[in-house]
Amino acid sequence: MSANSVGTQGAKMDVHVHALGRVEGDLDVRVAIEDGVVVDAWTEATMFRGFEIILKGKDPQAGLIVTPRICGICGGSHLYKAVYALDTAWQTEVPPNATLIRNIAQACETLQSIPRWFYALFAIGLTHRNYSRAKLYEEVARRWAPFTGTSYEVGVVTSAKPVEIYAIFGGQWPHSSFMVPGGVMCGPTLSDITRSISILEYYRETWLEGVWLGCSVDRWLENETWDDVLRWLDEKPQHRDSDLGLFIRYCLEIGLDKYGAGPGRYLAMGTYFHPEKYRYPNIEGRNAALISRAGVYDGEDFHDFEQARVREDHTHSFFRGSASLHPFEGVTEPVDPAEGKKQDKYTWAKAPRYMLPGGEEVSLEAGPLARQVIAGRPGAEPWQDYDPLFLNIVRELGPSVMVRVLARMHEAAKYYRLVRQWLSQVDLNEKFYIKPQELPEGRGFGATEAARGALADWIQIKDGKIENYQVITPTAWNIGPRDRHGNRGPIETAMIGATVLNPEDPVELAHIAQSYDSCLVCTVHAYDARTHKELARFTVGPGAP
Amino acid sequence: MTVIIGCGNLLRSDDGVGPLLIRRLWELGPPPGVRLADGGTAGMDVAFQIDGATELIIVDACRTGAPPGTIFEVPGEEVETPPLTAINLHDFRWDHAIAFGRWLLKDRFPRKVTVFLIEAASLEPGMGLSPAVQEAMERLAADLVRRLGRDERVG
Repeated sequence: MSANSVGTQGAKMDVHVHALGRVEGDLDVRVAIEDGVVVDAWTEATMFRGFEIILKGKDPQAGLIVTPRICGICGGSHLYKAVYALDTAWQTEVPPNATLIRNIAQACETLQSIPRWFYALFAIGLTHRNYSRAKLYEEVARRWAPFTGTSYEVGVVTSAKPVEIYAIFGGQWPHSSFMVPGGVMCGPTLSDITRSISILEYYRETWLEGVWLGCSVDRWLENETWDDVLRWLDEKPQHRDSDLGLFIRYCLEIGLDKYGAGPGRYLAMGTYFHPEKYRYPNIEGRNAALISRAGVYDGEDFHDFEQARVREDHTHSFFRGSASLHPFEGVTEPVDPAEGKKQDKYTWAKAPRYMLPGGEEVSLEAGPLARQVIAGRPGAEPWQDYDPLFLNIVRELGPSVMVRVLARMHEAAKYYRLVRQWLSQVDLNEKFYIKPQELPEGRGFGATEAARGALADWIQIKDGKIENYQVITPTAWNIGPRDRHGNRGPIETAMIGATVLNPEDPVELAHIAQSYDSCLVCTVHAYDARTHKELARFTVGPGAP
Repeated sequence: MTVIIGCGNLLRSDDGVGPLLIRRLWELGPPPGVRLADGGTAGMDVAFQIDGATELIIVDACRTGAPPGTIFEVPGEEVETPPLTAINLHDFRWDHAIAFGRWLLKDRFPRKVTVFLIEAASLEPGMGLSPAVQEAMERLAADLVRRLGRDERVG
């Protein structure tokens, strides 16, 4: 992390976080600091994304080719929801085998992301010299320093394993297009299944249990409350000394449990379908067929997720006008940013909002923490995931950088278990594809949970061509700007109140930005809020020099 | 074994030349002992694709100001970007991947690395190559098949 610092005299300043990515574009987080505390924040996405424009007028299946290329990291998730958008629009029949293979592929992509994100991105920041006085610092640096840490290599190398399973079924990873309306384009053999199982077991033994948990997957998943987690920590030296045990102890020591809360309102669109209950994909029956559930938590109550309640407010985005529209009515009419700035527009990202029953439109945090809070909602069907742990943690401790990271890591154990089950359920003598009828008109909605959160496509087909295609990414939910009521987006909210130890090197803000794992490279710019002088600029991602 | 990795973004016009060249090589039929990989916009995974290669060839688009369709052939050591500390998962390019692969594979890292860069005319959002880049892609694909089909190696 390089800080180009400017001398600071005033007590109030702005920090600007800027991202530069070849794939997804850039993100600038501008932060105003007063007396060492963040008092305001603006997230500015600096690259126009034109997928919707690329897709208009193309063959309906173009989404299967184009959307997996949106991202070099979660292309499989893009494919998963793009295929369901077409399945629902064309009213296809999807054989159970295809649903299982799609689930396996989606989960494997996330299993890949979890250790890679932790070791190659997040944990590097924990070795920052700011923490050199911490009791556990030496141990943290010994394990998690980039390239030299004892866990770094095994974490990063093992992360490549689950996507080998993806490639067995999908031909390649990333950017596969093997999921098609009506099923999947593969005919797995018994040896494909057994190879996949052995790769998965390698992942479990080598990293998940061996390095991360220090216990069996089953033992970890017995924990239902924060107290259970603390008891688990003290149960055995292997728990305390595992990477997870060290992470929890270190967070509590350096205070990562104290800031970066975010809005405290969560959205999951859910993912993984029960093979029998989503044979005929349709929008209405989606929630009931999910294994990892969809839902909205407004801070107090749970609500069923309804795609019809999603809005995109572009009041502060570089698009014409200031409406808040459902994606089916979405507009993508860019304006010149120089003109837009005169109308208080400051980003290329729209502000996704959700209309609660009662009509209030709110920002919602997407991601693993959102999924795991929704997993705690009572009333799950027998085939659905019920897991009260993170709802309890959020209620006991409140959300924070630590809790958000723990939720992401928790999913490695859960998804390992699911993939293992699904692999044993594939019936090699049954179909993987049923040729659908291509309907010339229709509307479809497909969604999933990428590693980073809720990801959805809305498609409108007219005369056999794409009339309108809208994609809302989890990053959009999290990095969205203010809406027409002036309410901030989730990351903007999460920054407020963070205490910055050294305004010229605000590593705390990097932790917050990274805990959301937005698919953008962030650059943080710190400004004195009184003098508007830039104090620091650093790119979020790389570790301390 | 020779591994050829085509990198770039299919959704940004000529930046898709790497993945499209891989597809073209597949159609032409790669010579024995050649493995093809569509690196797309993945970062670190390019490094994982290198394992097992004695020779590595990377193809990507570039913007140098030369006439569109110009093909540059660059020895790997010229474009590798140590140190590794300034890497972000979302901004991880093949130059990082080479450096990362060298760290990852240690003595299994390929003895020879060559990078072919094709000058792009347009990087605007959109699919498809401009005529000059399409022609350069065809030329390079045929050339790689010819060179790798013989015992003498590219270089």
